[in-house]
Amino acid sequence: MAATERRRPAKAAERLRRLLVMVPYLVRHPGTKISEASRLFDVSEEELVEDLQLLFVSGLPPYGPGDLIEVDLEDGRITITMADYFARPLRLTRNEAIALYLRGTSLAATPGLRESRALSSALDKLREGLGPESLEDVAGRIETISGRGAEVLDRVRAAAAAGERLEIDYFAASSGQTTTRRIAAEEVFSSMGNWYVAAWDMSVDDERLFRLDRIKAVRATGERFERRGLAGAGRPLYTASHDDVEVRLRLAPEARWVSEYYEVTEESERPDGSLEVALPTKRLEWVARLLLSLGTSAEVLAPPELRDRVSELAGRALERYRGAPPG
Amino acid sequence: MQPLERLINLVALLLETRRPLTFDQIREKLPAYGHEDPASAKRMFERDKDLLRDNGIPVEVVSTDPWEVESGYIIPKDRYYVPEIAFTGEELSALFVAALSPGEDTTAEQGVRKLLYGAQGGVLVGRSIAPVAAPDAAGGRLTAVAEALLRRRRIRFRYRTSRGAISDRDIDPWGLVWRAGHWYVVGLDHDRTEVRSFRLSRLASEVEEVRNGSEPPKGFRASDHIQTGPWGPGEPAERAHIAFSPNAAWWALAGVPGVEVKPSRPDGWMEATVPYAEADGLVGWVLRFGPDAEVLGPQQLREEATRRLEELVGGH
Repeated sequence: MAATERRRPAKAAERLRRLLVMVPYLVRHPGTKISEASRLFDVSEEELVEDLQLLFVSGLPPYGPGDLIEVDLEDGRITITMADYFARPLRLTRNEAIALYLRGTSLAATPGLRESRALSSALDKLREGLGPESLEDVAGRIETISGRGAEVLDRVRAAAAAGERLEIDYFAASSGQTTTRRIAAEEVFSSMGNWYVAAWDMSVDDERLFRLDRIKAVRATGERFERRGLAGAGRPLYTASHDDVEVRLRLAPEARWVSEYYEVTEESERPDGSLEVALPTKRLEWVARLLLSLGTSAEVLAPPELRDRVSELAGRALERYRGAPPG
Repeated sequence: MQPLERLINLVALLLETRRPLTFDQIREKLPAYGHEDPASAKRMFERDKDLLRDNGIPVEVVSTDPWEVESGYIIPKDRYYVPEIAFTGEELSALFVAALSPGEDTTAEQGVRKLLYGAQGGVLVGRSIAPVAAPDAAGGRLTAVAEALLRRRRIRFRYRTSRGAISDRDIDPWGLVWRAGHWYVVGLDHDRTEVRSFRLSRLASEVEEVRNGSEPPKGFRASDHIQTGPWGPGEPAERAHIAFSPNAAWWALAGVPGVEVKPSRPDGWMEATVPYAEADGLVGWVLRFGPDAEVLGPQQLREEATRRLEELVGGH
């Protein structure tokens, strides 16, 4: 995460920027906990205290006792007085305003998001409040198309919050089958326009990610579960493990999108514009189905059993095309 | 004295002064510049002033006398301070969550922190409280495109299509659209003289502003130009007739735009017609379901599916 990178000793400019943003908050919120400020402004507690100690000796001319900023650090709480001129932060730069507006807009488009309404009104206020200099007529020019909603979202969320196991009918893209499973849903999150739940799948006794729009039905079980602390938001949709199979594919130009869509670990370009990629996976089934749709624009380099699977799967699908279509 | 302390004092001084201060006046008031010899103090001041400006602090230079002989420095309050916006706690929390979504670009994060000062009653929240949508990897390029869009500038960039072809594009950006985890810019493509859409994560270069661009026609809606089906770009012209197994049908057909589902067959399979523009994309989508789907018509589409499956039987 970028947060750890930013913990290197900060330069004066960086510290200045931070102070001009942090001090107004502290002026307006006397008695803020150091830990709280550290979290809000993504700065370590040591750096924070160091910055604040510098403020003691800052202020206005002639820099006598009555002119300096007063910083009170007591019981892990911060109070800043005598700094009315720093009671409001510096304006958002145009880029900051745009970046924030775009992030907010994309998040608000997530169907079923609890914060959507608050976010939309915040964006309206932001647009009007910052005025034409930052976000002139942005409204008609930035649009969103909402993805598939997930009807079961609220039920899964409630079960995750209450720690109750659910029984779900789930469409697995890997097998093309809808099967019934019993899961302990821990964290519901949204990524790339889809909702997921990180859960413990009782039927395989392992951690699984389920895409909520692929859950056909949800049933209560009345069973409670203990949280294992499965990671949700911010996690990669694929996590490597040692028993993964490494699939190697050669993708013709028209199939290169695969390397953007899935987590590939290696990627090298050939002179003819094709791409050789390594795609680690826990299961081969979904890759076989992907290859079925890619046809000759993808070639399996490894493992050999994947080639057999594709051939076998294609053979089974082909049976439907022998003779005239039914009906 | 630490440079940071000097900078803070300089900002406070120029923000609180009612009249612009000449460098000599600043030097008198701010001991940090008083200790050095005048020439090097002035150089130090110039560096500080540039640093403040680079960090978005509006240090203005104005004449201090009617003959414009001397000039002074001031930070106008109305240009410095963020305007008061009355956000509710909920609104700020939501903005905070949005800004902190995972991604490499921290610009939005820096922006939202400037709004926190107005929070009522410490309602603020950390990363963990809400589900987080991972934004497109477009990052800084997205902001650059948005800049150009808002200022109606024509832009140039290298673009790699989903089929892998790379070319330079010159477009007038007319709109930005977010769909299924990606940002798209829609605009007039000058080489093709038609409206095209481009996924920002496929930009293969930085975005360069070329010159002033054009206005979109009245009633233009960028989202009309983003493909929404799983079967490729373009206007759907024909309908395909497809059957899905009972296992796959509910999921395959949910949310497909323009789908017409027929009553289910005695064997439980579901038949439906879906609009499509490009045979290739549609067949690929159906084959993805393996033995759980079948193209019934038109005949030429069925033959295409058959041909592609035959190529895969026996390995390749």
